[in-house]
Amino acid sequence: MPKRVAIVGAGMQKYEFRKEQTVEEMVFDVARNALENSHLSKDDIDSVVFGSAVDAFCGINNSDKVAIDASGGLLKPTMRNSTSGSTAISTPILGYTHVASGMHDLVMVLCYEKMSENDSAQAVFNTVYDEAFVRPIGLNVPIQCGLEARAYLHKYGITERQMAKVSVKNRGNALSNPYAQLPMKLTVEDVLASPYLSWPVKLLDTSPVTDGARALILASEDVARELTDDPIWIKGVGRGADSVWFMGRQNKDLGKLDYAYLAVFFFQAKAGIRDPMAEIDYAEVYDPFTYKEMQHCEAMGLCSEGGAGRMIDEGISLKDGPLPVNASGGLQGEGNPIGAGMSRLCWCYLQAKGQAGACQVPKDVNNAVANGWGGMYQYNAVMVIGRD
Amino acid sequence: MAKKKAVLSIDGEIQINYKWSVGKAGDRFFTELRDHKKIMGTKCRQCGRVLVPPRIFCEECFVEDMEWVEVEPRGTLLTFGESYFSTDGKRLKEPWMLGIVRLKGSDGGLIHLISESRPEDLKIGMPVEAVFKNKPEGNIMDILYFRPANN
Repeated sequence: MPKRVAIVGAGMQKYEFRKEQTVEEMVFDVARNALENSHLSKDDIDSVVFGSAVDAFCGINNSDKVAIDASGGLLKPTMRNSTSGSTAISTPILGYTHVASGMHDLVMVLCYEKMSENDSAQAVFNTVYDEAFVRPIGLNVPIQCGLEARAYLHKYGITERQMAKVSVKNRGNALSNPYAQLPMKLTVEDVLASPYLSWPVKLLDTSPVTDGARALILASEDVARELTDDPIWIKGVGRGADSVWFMGRQNKDLGKLDYAYLAVFFFQAKAGIRDPMAEIDYAEVYDPFTYKEMQHCEAMGLCSEGGAGRMIDEGISLKDGPLPVNASGGLQGEGNPIGAGMSRLCWCYLQAKGQAGACQVPKDVNNAVANGWGGMYQYNAVMVIGRD
Repeated sequence: MAKKKAVLSIDGEIQINYKWSVGKAGDRFFTELRDHKKIMGTKCRQCGRVLVPPRIFCEECFVEDMEWVEVEPRGTLLTFGESYFSTDGKRLKEPWMLGIVRLKGSDGGLIHLISESRPEDLKIGMPVEAVFKNKPEGNIMDILYFRPANN
């Protein structure tokens, strides 16, 4: 049986298009903030787990090596994890296994990405595609998402206007987030008037290129109870990976995310959650594009399959709605430093603890869920946290 | 207050050339494409699925028990996407398009350029066919593109 694991602290910093900090300085910033937030010191931490998606962004291979000193990981066991965008949640899952196994009592999870150091993030993304069958035809991320979004809209009758409402919500929510890169007061018409990248995805349906880092501290049950009277437990984790061949095979329908549904099945089984719509109080959903928030809400059972359009139309996911989603601004409003999308989970923790400041939702948050997504429409990782 | 002075930065460049093996399955696929304008898949003898692009193993049965079969150079458009930017980021007047094509006789398919049409001419589920290059070279661009077909 896995041992119980709690989150006991989060380390934040401002997300920006271009941070002047080095990777090492970014890591130091959030590691120190996480230790302060959890009232711990460097020597209390047994082990550090790093997450970063693509080294080619910063141009330093095995970049976790420069994060060791800056995280307080000196002479400690460290490990680096990378599963494309889902690094954002698979890294805290890796940290969770370190504690749930009984191997360590206090583990720091540290995710970072420095995307601004190269002159073309798009050129870096293009090196991800299969070298023989895909890269020569010139696929890029906007079209990759256009292919998927078109299939999703076609399958469920979701509209561009409903997608636009997600952008308005998230960028508007980011106005309350002191760490946000792209807070904007927008109308649906503003979003609809922004230029198409690939139908139906427009510029304002898209998250920006971002530099930034996040840290979380995970504790075993005994240590968590010493540190706080109100532990926030990791109640369930789930991951799923589909075939790299998105043109066919297992993932037969890009409109519906088979791998995402699979990951959520695991987390629900472990978290004992039967009815996410009723039992989840708050969600931070991976939203690199507006339609991704909608697909992921469906996959996680936060609305019915095909029901994400109605969810946003009815205001369910608004900050003051019955099931707020991305009150921090999400990747759209806060910024999208791929692996450091762990910010989604940080915000779930801050909301549960009542530490979300101006982003705090006007309701009790006892159960919250976050997810991460990446690869060739391949990976999903989910974590649900909350009180007993 | 004066604008804060930016920290110094250092310019750098990483330029590395690669030679990627296409593997056993890729070698047969691209050779048949170049020499006979045929699109080949591998059929798993256990589950019967035909994989395009081909592999030497079936990832579901997890066996290396495959036979080569020819699939048709036509199929169904599963989805498509257009771009008004060139691959190097320049704004274009006319869009270029990519689509995912499920080839007839296979359980997989190819992602490839879609041409001889405009985005408004295309529909999910419509038939499309491959147009081959006259002087093939043994790579995926030996198929120039797919275009709408008459069924």
